[in-house]
Amino acid sequence: MSDVGPVVDDSPIGSAMRGVSPARKRAGRWLIAAASVILLATVLIQLLFVTGVTETGFENWRPVVYAWLLWSVSIGAAQVIIRGERGQRALFILPAVLFTVAMVIFPTLSGFYIALTDWNLSQLEGRHFNGLDNLKSLFHDAYFWNALGNMVYYVLAVLVQYAIAFSLALMLNTDIRARKFFRVAFLLPFMLSPVAVSWMVGKSMMEFRFGPLAGLARHLGWDSPSFFTTPMIARGSVMAMDAWVSIPFVMVLLLAGLQALPGEVMEAAKVDGASPWQSFWKIVFPLTLPVSVTALILRIIFELKLADIVITVTDGGPGGATDTVSSFIFREYRERSNVGYGTMLAQFYFILIIVFVTLLLAGASRLMKRYS
Amino acid sequence: MLKGAAGFGAAALAAAAPVAALTVPATARAASGNAAFRAELVKIPGVGKGSPTDADWQKVGELCLGPTKANVKPGEFKGVELTFMGLNNQNLHNFLFRGFLKPWEAYTGATIKWIDLAQADYNPRLQQAIATKTVDFDIIEMGAPFEGDVCGKGLASPMPEWVKQQIEVDDLVNYLKPPVGTWEGKSYRINIDGDCHSWNYRTDYFKDAALAAAWKAEGHKGEWAPPKTWQQVNEITKFLKGKKINGQDAFGYLDPAKGWGGFGFYFLEDRATPYVKVPGDKAWLFDPDTMKPLVNNPGWVRAIQDAIDCLPSEPADQLNADPGTTGFQQFLAGTGAMLSWWGDIGQMANTSDSSVIGTTIGFDINPGSDTLYNRKTGKWETPAGGVNYAPNMAYLGWGVYVMARADSDPKKSKAAWSAAAHLGGKDISLWTVMYPSGFQAHRNSHFQIDEWVNAGYDKAYISGYLGSLDKSYNHPNSAIEPRIPGIFQYYSVAEDELAKIYAGKATAQQGADAIAAAWDKITDTIGRDSQLKLYRASLGM
Repeated sequence: MSDVGPVVDDSPIGSAMRGVSPARKRAGRWLIAAASVILLATVLIQLLFVTGVTETGFENWRPVVYAWLLWSVSIGAAQVIIRGERGQRALFILPAVLFTVAMVIFPTLSGFYIALTDWNLSQLEGRHFNGLDNLKSLFHDAYFWNALGNMVYYVLAVLVQYAIAFSLALMLNTDIRARKFFRVAFLLPFMLSPVAVSWMVGKSMMEFRFGPLAGLARHLGWDSPSFFTTPMIARGSVMAMDAWVSIPFVMVLLLAGLQALPGEVMEAAKVDGASPWQSFWKIVFPLTLPVSVTALILRIIFELKLADIVITVTDGGPGGATDTVSSFIFREYRERSNVGYGTMLAQFYFILIIVFVTLLLAGASRLMKRYS
Repeated sequence: MLKGAAGFGAAALAAAAPVAALTVPATARAASGNAAFRAELVKIPGVGKGSPTDADWQKVGELCLGPTKANVKPGEFKGVELTFMGLNNQNLHNFLFRGFLKPWEAYTGATIKWIDLAQADYNPRLQQAIATKTVDFDIIEMGAPFEGDVCGKGLASPMPEWVKQQIEVDDLVNYLKPPVGTWEGKSYRINIDGDCHSWNYRTDYFKDAALAAAWKAEGHKGEWAPPKTWQQVNEITKFLKGKKINGQDAFGYLDPAKGWGGFGFYFLEDRATPYVKVPGDKAWLFDPDTMKPLVNNPGWVRAIQDAIDCLPSEPADQLNADPGTTGFQQFLAGTGAMLSWWGDIGQMANTSDSSVIGTTIGFDINPGSDTLYNRKTGKWETPAGGVNYAPNMAYLGWGVYVMARADSDPKKSKAAWSAAAHLGGKDISLWTVMYPSGFQAHRNSHFQIDEWVNAGYDKAYISGYLGSLDKSYNHPNSAIEPRIPGIFQYYSVAEDELAKIYAGKATAQQGADAIAAAWDKITDTIGRDSQLKLYRASLGM
């Protein structure tokens, strides 16, 4: 005879599972099954209806959303019914997962599908699957590659923004008079919408006939102060407006980094007779490098999405010199109702950004290791 | 003049008494054509007395309620809520409609929700609503070019007979009568505008003795006078480079070189139609047998080349000037001698606070050409009579349409049509074409000069303005825009190519070929057969 008694699971999991009867588990599984059947049936009915296979269906997709919500609630409830306390713990994460699936993963997958169609809003018959035609068009689209080329200039301009922002941050970190005032004043442009800046600065202050900046330029000897008609000047003008809005953001991050520097290190450098430049280059810059890298990467990600100023002021001109990928996608989608191709452009650019930022992070990581 | 919210309140109170006094007799004398009534109407606020305000719009709406009252009982639409989608360009369009319809709402009991859109947002908003079957408005202010998208898909409500009588459709100018405004034989559109591009020029330029002397001294042919052909326009534009007038830099024609959501392409059409629109041949944009674009034929290419050649003589910022800039920030603000534009320019030159040119403006039909490219023979020809005119009926005007969704409830449908008919009424239209509104003359009754003079217009000024519109509307060789789905996609993609051409990144022929290739692609995407069918139908072929 064995004297081994019943195995008692004293683990936290076992204790959490105790007290859940088989009948309760069965009920939970039935609940999941029923909710899944309802969801699948609703989706199927609507799919068959909208594709014209059947003549019965819902007026719109709202019932499918309700079925999804019902399924989500049922899944949550079933976790508790089947798994007891462990199920309750799952409820902390499950809603977020379901929300992400509904709001991020599903639209992304749906976007990939749309990118493979010829959907144009003016078509009488609606969209058709066209495989990789949009991708092939993209590779031959001079406007896209021109805009992508411009993005190189815009991204490089972030380095200039960074240098200016660092200078301002260093200045605001010293004991200058009215420091608090300047901190707030320098932040003001960041609080403005880029569209407002486009109108106030690009379309008013830089206006060729009556703009005060154009007037000043005339006063300084520029006969025809047209800020948006030659490629380099137009691109520079857009960069200047973008910098005006964005530099405060970088400056605030760097200022926070500077304020977190240990005072003893700076004191020690001073005692050791380090010059201001040596203090900056050998101590301040390396110590704030993590913040700098974060600020630069965030700014580059924002810069890759630059569109509002370009759309409002130049519409990509002259001759595409200021066009950005986002402003081109905007035109393709909005003015030409080219949903399929516009989505392909967006998805392709999305993947490019992911690859670029991943490489950037890897490079930043190496740089940090070298300095540390 | 009182402006702003507080000012509006005061103005409304101040205006209440005279409106009340006028309302009763207005009802009695609402029969359109009543000269005394119309004379009183057009004096609100009076030409030369500043831009009209919301109080003025409400006053006009109140005065013109007569036709509504004849068809609708007080409070008949109580509980009905309508949604109206329209534009907010230059703070006009929907802003006027709100004022006009406020008394209508008070009388009928209906309420209106407003969707205001910027010009550039209009097309995508409408297209998305159509494609995703989420039409969320009952009434829409829409241009005829969109009829292919809306009426062709059965989304609009056919106009009831009583509405046709209320708005007196027979009064419309000829070119706005069927097939324009109809789709497959049914009427959908209440016309509130009659678009075409016409010619505006500064009279002081052409009276300037110094310029006239310089013109002769430089050996130019003919007298120093407003041009009649594009060849002369180009010559004058190049001649004026570096000259001065009234102490300021003189400029000739103003080409809008920057896109405007597709609307900028109309301005290349102005240059091209006299070169390519052959009398007796309705097609000038696409081949009516194949739907192949004509935009890269020698006539169009010459028009593009003309613009390229003139741009160096135009203001330094011209590459960044869209049609809004050329019209309102340049021409009305005193820059440039010549401009082809919609009737807004003549309407605003002397009635808008933002204009500085006042009455130093003359009008004419768009210039013609002394040479004409015939697409059928593939040769340049000399036009019969020496000059080929082909005024561009750009956009064919705004209309008010009721959506089919309003028809689900007869009461709502009648309310929607009543509101639309109020905006498209004969008397109210007289006021809108006289004052800044975004709409130009479109009824035969709008061409009674005395009514304009009575409102405060100078007789010579208004005779010229109305004459230019009248000649354009009734021209036997006018270029009628095709009402095909996605027409603004064609224009928009052309704008991108034109921007490249004007910036020197492509020659006129290369750019025109690129436009043609892009247009072919759009046609194939939307459906060549259906586009061809609709194109032919829209031209009455």
